[in-house]
Amino acid sequence: MFNVLAARKLHTFTNTLKALRGWKLAKNLMFAGVGLLMLAALYGGFWRLLNYLEGVQLIGPMLSWKLTSMVLLMTFSMVIVSSIIISMTTLYYSFDLKFLFSCPLDLRSIFMDKALETVFYSSWTLVLAILPFILALGRIKALGAGFYLAYGLLMVPLVMLAGAFGILFSMTVMYLFPSSKTRDITWLLGSVSVAFVYVMFRFSKPEKLLRPDSLEIVAQYIQYLQSPTAPYMPSWWVTKAMVAYSAGHWGAFAGSALVLCLAAAAVYSFIYFLAGPLYMRGFSGAQSSPRFKGGRENLPEQRLAVKWPSWRAPLTLYWKDRLMLTRDARYWSQIILIAALIAVYLFSIRQLPLDTPDLKSLVSFLNVAVAGFVVAAIGLRFTFPSISLEGNSYWLLKSAPVSTASVMREKLMVSLVPSVAIGLVLIAVSNHLLNADLFISVLSAFTITVASVVISVMGIGLGATFPDFNVENIHQLESSYGGFLYMATAMGYLSLLVAVEAWPVQMHFAERFGRAHAWDMRAVALCAAVFILLNFVALYVPWKIGLRSLERHEI
Amino acid sequence: MIEIHNLTKTFGSFRAVDGLNLRVEAGEIFGFLGPNGAGKTTTVKILSGIMRPTSGRVLVAGHDVALEPLAAKRAMAYIPDEPFVYPKLTGWEFLRFIGDLYSVPQAEQRKRIPELLETFELSAQAGELLESYSHGMKQKLLIASVLLRRPKAVLFDEPTVGLDPKSIRRFKGLLADIAREGAAVFMCTHILDMAEKLCHTVGIIDRGRLVARGTVAEVKKLSVVAGRSLEDVFLELTE
Repeated sequence: MFNVLAARKLHTFTNTLKALRGWKLAKNLMFAGVGLLMLAALYGGFWRLLNYLEGVQLIGPMLSWKLTSMVLLMTFSMVIVSSIIISMTTLYYSFDLKFLFSCPLDLRSIFMDKALETVFYSSWTLVLAILPFILALGRIKALGAGFYLAYGLLMVPLVMLAGAFGILFSMTVMYLFPSSKTRDITWLLGSVSVAFVYVMFRFSKPEKLLRPDSLEIVAQYIQYLQSPTAPYMPSWWVTKAMVAYSAGHWGAFAGSALVLCLAAAAVYSFIYFLAGPLYMRGFSGAQSSPRFKGGRENLPEQRLAVKWPSWRAPLTLYWKDRLMLTRDARYWSQIILIAALIAVYLFSIRQLPLDTPDLKSLVSFLNVAVAGFVVAAIGLRFTFPSISLEGNSYWLLKSAPVSTASVMREKLMVSLVPSVAIGLVLIAVSNHLLNADLFISVLSAFTITVASVVISVMGIGLGATFPDFNVENIHQLESSYGGFLYMATAMGYLSLLVAVEAWPVQMHFAERFGRAHAWDMRAVALCAAVFILLNFVALYVPWKIGLRSLERHEI
Repeated sequence: MIEIHNLTKTFGSFRAVDGLNLRVEAGEIFGFLGPNGAGKTTTVKILSGIMRPTSGRVLVAGHDVALEPLAAKRAMAYIPDEPFVYPKLTGWEFLRFIGDLYSVPQAEQRKRIPELLETFELSAQAGELLESYSHGMKQKLLIASVLLRRPKAVLFDEPTVGLDPKSIRRFKGLLADIAREGAAVFMCTHILDMAEKLCHTVGIIDRGRLVARGTVAEVKKLSVVAGRSLEDVFLELTE
């Protein structure tokens, strides 16, 4: 029966490919081309890094293998966490599960089908992301095509093992606590773990590892490099196999590869066996909804609507979104990750090795672009998907006496204050940490306020341009063509913004350095005019295109 | 109350609705019948304003849906065949949401929402999230939301799917009440028995074209054999 299920996936895939024609094909090719460019850029970066490490006398080769083992360990851990989060949906809440359970299919076949789906979804982006690293490693160490083939073969059992651990965790938890509440708690714990690992990793100052001089005893450092990174983890077995391959020790390579494959076979046999007694109970329990009581009281927005009847529609949409956001565990986990991102961001700013006040002020100015990028990245998770996340219920708004512009304005209202607040906090705290001067502090605070507003409007506008009301989760929207275009547009806008302000900032520094008549007011006026024009275009164009597209969108 | 003039909708080279002309008066219950893929749902989606016609005009309560969408939508209520609602709102909140969106005065909402929940036997679940509601419960909630806003035109697409027999009976009574209060009812349905008993007039659409229109008795007369049921006539006309 499993082959029938696998064939349906193959048909879905081939049909999707066949359906790619005309603009759809061009769009996907463009998307893939940009993706390849990004991978090429990553490859360039990794090549430089590994080339430098390899060139370090005596310990160079050890350093690059140590880094490889750390990269593999991180990938392995991330696949486990992703698989915990994703398996909660694929194993228990996929849209086709009810249909599959009603078919004469045995439980284990359904389970294995969904388990492999989980492994695929939780690993493909990570596998793709480390590919440039492996390519660079192979080139630096002058290893042939066989090395890449061996790596590809080793990665299969590695990600299968990582995925299996996540699946095992979800299945056990759902067996013990068979309720949809468990999914929410697991998502939350998953996000807390990712955030914790991320923050701890950064706070441990990993850059020190690349600076042997920062360690007191060199022997300790070499010992550290030679020691296995998590010896009982499959990622270490992969590293050992790769080291053995590069040295031509075929016996050691085969040994490590065999251990890895046997471990994967054993773990899958175990979860296959376990699925019989555990999976059904968890699936059955997942169908029940948690008890929830409430919602009869008058909301503040409803009281406001009595006072301001003309604001009734946006206020109504606002309270609806507010209640839904606060009740959806997916958003809480996103907020935890954002908090971690902000903490790491500010920590990194504090760690910057800047000596002079002038340099600090200059970095404070350039920091506007980085803070704007963070605001855009957060917008990619909250602002950009907000229209599409109306989902199948969008018909309610489309058939209601509410204009599309009004719906978009309300979505903007929800995103605007948090975006501006995050932008301002990042800039204000960074400026404080860097002791930026008054001019730069005021300019950067003003710029980030404007940029946050523009990026939010851009998010709503482009979200309306590329609505997808059939998605199951935010990640599908983030990685969509529209999501990519939103990020690219936001980054382009931020670059131009910094470029426009660079001239007046240059005059400010000239004044600081004591140059007479540093300020050219005509240049300042020109920059101000370009600034206004740039922001007007960045506000107006995406909004108008989005409005037109959403008005024409048929469901 | 509902007027359709030369309505055409194409998807690429496929004509889903082809030159449709129809009129449903205030107080009339109109049953729109047709096989799967005949163009019923497309028509009702265009009437509700969630789809745009390729050509032709649609008027609801005198308002052109394309030119005055908000005025037209304010006068109508639409229930699709799939009751998609916001999963993280409670039943009570959903009715408040619809009431607020359609400008039903808050005092009236406070009075009528408990009555409607009682009528549809949803009072006990009114404080629970809609994600826990069954298909039928969501359908009942949507029908309750229609009654809350007192529309001039009501568009139903397969309204009884998922309803239990008791609710179907209650629905039929409510439909008659809605029409008696002066609303035009436009209902797509596959249940010919219900259309025969409940609708004042019916229309049969096949491959996008209206092939019959009139009272049930008038449509029955279109059969080559006398005394046949609406089901027989329907099959005869759409084969």
